[in-house]
Amino acid sequence: MVKVLLVGEAAREHAIAEAICRSNYDPKLYAVMRLRNPGIDSLCKVTGGEVALGNSQDPKFVVETAKKFHVDFVFVGPEEPLFRGTADELEKEGIPCIGAKRGPAELEMSKAFMRRLMWKYRIPGRLRFKAFKNVEDAIAYIHEYAESVALKPARQAGGKGVKVIADLQAYLTSEKTHVKREHAKAIHEKYMKDYRDIDDRILIEERVEGPEYTLQAFTDGRTVKPLPLVQDNKNAFEMDIGPETGGMGSIAGKGMFLPFITEEEYRKSVEIVKNCVRAVEKETGEKYKGIVSGQMMCTASWGPTIIEFYSRLGDPEAVNVLPILKTDMIEICEAIIDEKLNKIKLKFENVATVVKCVAPKGYPEERNLAKGHPLHVDVDMVKKLGCKVYFASTDLQPDGKIISGGSRLVEIFGKGKTIPEASRKVEACIPYVWLEDGWGVFHRSDIGSEQLLEKRIEQANLIRAVYKYRARKGLIGKTIEWIPKKGKIIIET
Amino acid sequence: MGGIVGIYGFSKEWRMARFVYYALLALQHRGQENCGIVTFNGESLSQYKGSGLVDQVFSNQNILDELPGWIGIGSVTSTIEKDSSKIQPVVVWEPLPLALCFDGKILNIKDLVEKEKVNGENEAEILAKIFSLELEQTGNPMEAMVNFMGKIKGAYSLIVLTGKGEMIVGRDPAGIKPLTIGSFGFDYGVVASESCVMDVIGADFKNDVQPGEVYHFDAYSIERKQVLKPNPKFCAFEYVYYARPDSILNGKSIYEVRMKIGEKLAEEHSVNKGEIVLGVPETAIPFAMAYSNKTKTPLGIGFVQTGRRIRSAIKPTEFERIVGVQLKLNPIRAAIAGKKIVLVDDSVVRGTTTKNTVNIMRNRMGAKEVHVRIGSPRLIAQCPFGTDVPPKDELIAVHLNAEEVSKVVGADTFHWLSLKGLVEAIGIPRKNLCLGCFTGKYPQINCKER
Repeated sequence: MVKVLLVGEAAREHAIAEAICRSNYDPKLYAVMRLRNPGIDSLCKVTGGEVALGNSQDPKFVVETAKKFHVDFVFVGPEEPLFRGTADELEKEGIPCIGAKRGPAELEMSKAFMRRLMWKYRIPGRLRFKAFKNVEDAIAYIHEYAESVALKPARQAGGKGVKVIADLQAYLTSEKTHVKREHAKAIHEKYMKDYRDIDDRILIEERVEGPEYTLQAFTDGRTVKPLPLVQDNKNAFEMDIGPETGGMGSIAGKGMFLPFITEEEYRKSVEIVKNCVRAVEKETGEKYKGIVSGQMMCTASWGPTIIEFYSRLGDPEAVNVLPILKTDMIEICEAIIDEKLNKIKLKFENVATVVKCVAPKGYPEERNLAKGHPLHVDVDMVKKLGCKVYFASTDLQPDGKIISGGSRLVEIFGKGKTIPEASRKVEACIPYVWLEDGWGVFHRSDIGSEQLLEKRIEQANLIRAVYKYRARKGLIGKTIEWIPKKGKIIIET
Repeated sequence: MGGIVGIYGFSKEWRMARFVYYALLALQHRGQENCGIVTFNGESLSQYKGSGLVDQVFSNQNILDELPGWIGIGSVTSTIEKDSSKIQPVVVWEPLPLALCFDGKILNIKDLVEKEKVNGENEAEILAKIFSLELEQTGNPMEAMVNFMGKIKGAYSLIVLTGKGEMIVGRDPAGIKPLTIGSFGFDYGVVASESCVMDVIGADFKNDVQPGEVYHFDAYSIERKQVLKPNPKFCAFEYVYYARPDSILNGKSIYEVRMKIGEKLAEEHSVNKGEIVLGVPETAIPFAMAYSNKTKTPLGIGFVQTGRRIRSAIKPTEFERIVGVQLKLNPIRAAIAGKKIVLVDDSVVRGTTTKNTVNIMRNRMGAKEVHVRIGSPRLIAQCPFGTDVPPKDELIAVHLNAEEVSKVVGADTFHWLSLKGLVEAIGIPRKNLCLGCFTGKYPQINCKER
């Protein structure tokens, strides 16, 4: 028997829980959750484990719970507990943890640290950036340079607060500058307000465009074992319109790649992530043990480029890959703990997968409106239709009612020979999810459709042609400019 | 005729007036008499409108700074309005405040005035008042739009901005008037008459708003609904003349269609041993290019424009049209003198502008021969859907055949494109096109709810 404590309460953790419970090592699942995720709750019950409701972000509470249940190891789902040193605290008690310690987790926690690291170690796929310790300097910079930029909180702030502004029309620059300035203030006053654990406040990066994808991987600090590539869809509404969400659904496969990412690009992406794992160990002196994910983009400057790092699995990206993982999850975890990941061969079903999130109206901008609604999901019907339900921001009540927590409600997983086939299967399940009080829900029917795939392929081809041209001209990693009265200058990118 | 745009910011730091302004500049070709912008800032609607071209009405750019808010709609129109408050977007305050702009023509406006007991000086005002009543009764913009589209009969693309900051967009079930949708990152959504707007304001074109489809934007959702059963009858004249060549409408690139029209002209009415092909700026340039490629006749530039670009054919009076053409078409003698010329134009309405052009080429510039080729079929009927085609007694093609027209305009030969040629060039099945101005047969407009 292996006792595992899972930390976290989202759909990603539901998928992790399920993968653990599929193990042949007689798993017993325990969970620390802020809300009672019905999926994880039921898996704990079935395996004879228990749920501890409480602050999953508090390392003390996690350690106490781990000790109370005498678990063999802890698996941390989300990033925030890692930033707060959960793995470090567990280590002090001799409890192994799947999830990076505070040091290596800085790769995700501080976007400024990550950029500096990539520059210091000359890792390909890096971007030009400036980090600011106060809002005045950031605003002064914004006024001085009218450019296309991404404005980010310097620290990972729950995935919120990033704004990408293409500033390409001179006649609209005054408006774009206004928005950049207002957003810099918002980062300072709102998104970074509660975080005092790093000095940098605001990050301004060069803006890039291209198809995005997530490369998730297990690592024991020595070996990096990648999972199949996944693409998330961040706009709230169909046709990629609407505000940014945590992700409205994702596609993967068939196999390790995506239809718009080549094998060469995949290999380069893996190489970049490996380099960063090595660099972060050199920099912090700590082994990276757990999950590392590159949120990547195929850009004109580099081809594969790092947008951000995750010290965890993505959500919904985890839900694409864990259900088709054929290797025993507990074997993987133990290999990470023992630094023997090189002995593990990851196997996946050779299928395409699609995950679609169903969200309550109000998400993502007005979460208080999206909160407190009773959820109905016909889990059996979804199963009958060949798909699976993963519970997201939901709270199981003592009376059996499931209440919405304000974020995404459920993620529906489907698989097929092709992405559109998997998408159609998932689509058939959507009518079986609703809120009992009549409050509206929405999802994106276009995710995984032939039409959207074609658009992604078209975009990737366009960007690929540009970076291949740059490669032919020896311009990967640099730009050559000629400035009147100054002459030729070479800018490293 | 008109052009409309609506831009919906997903966060409040955006100031949309300047984006709407540049969108209207990109739609200027669709209406050159009036324009206006209405914005919403979370509290109320602000408006500024006037008669004239967009950059004339908004010549003082400070006006844009005084239109606050992250949601904005705007329009350009080609009808003369005496009272500037009636210029679109029309704002009504009772029973509920809203602004409305539309491109098109409502056929049952008299019935609506009687049944709904509203009055107004123009269609936009009447529609705005009816919508306001619907909104009061339903309390829900989407439902109001469903009822509203069930009542109105005609060709329309329309945008409503409510006093609560909801934006509702609809296209008639025949899709006669164009309407497209796009977006910019995570920041705003755009609907506009033509996709060229997306390029000009830096947004990405996504799709057409489909015939009979409605989009509803509010602070926390975008909802799409097929409100009326689609029965596409896309306006063919958009492809020939109205739309900009950098737009894509109903899935077809205007530029590509116009190049195909030029090829069709070459197939149908090639001029033997023509020495130079000249297109009448600007619409007919792609026709002339494609004709030249196909026939291997050299392409030249025949005319240079004086003053600002205007669309002479949609000017309201004969005098303005002639002035427009004369300023637009100053001929280049060296391209014309002594040559056998193929002159390609987009359409012939009254024949006066063609006559003017051919006369100058022959009598003053010394063209050897002038062969006129028109990139559209005979224009024989007035448009009931608001496209500015004059009544039958003003249409030369109703009264004269090609040979007679050639004598009137002073050309050696004169030919129109065939109807079949036009349909093939557009590449949309004939049953899904409105070809009324070329055939006199207009689609029956139904307004049954799905």
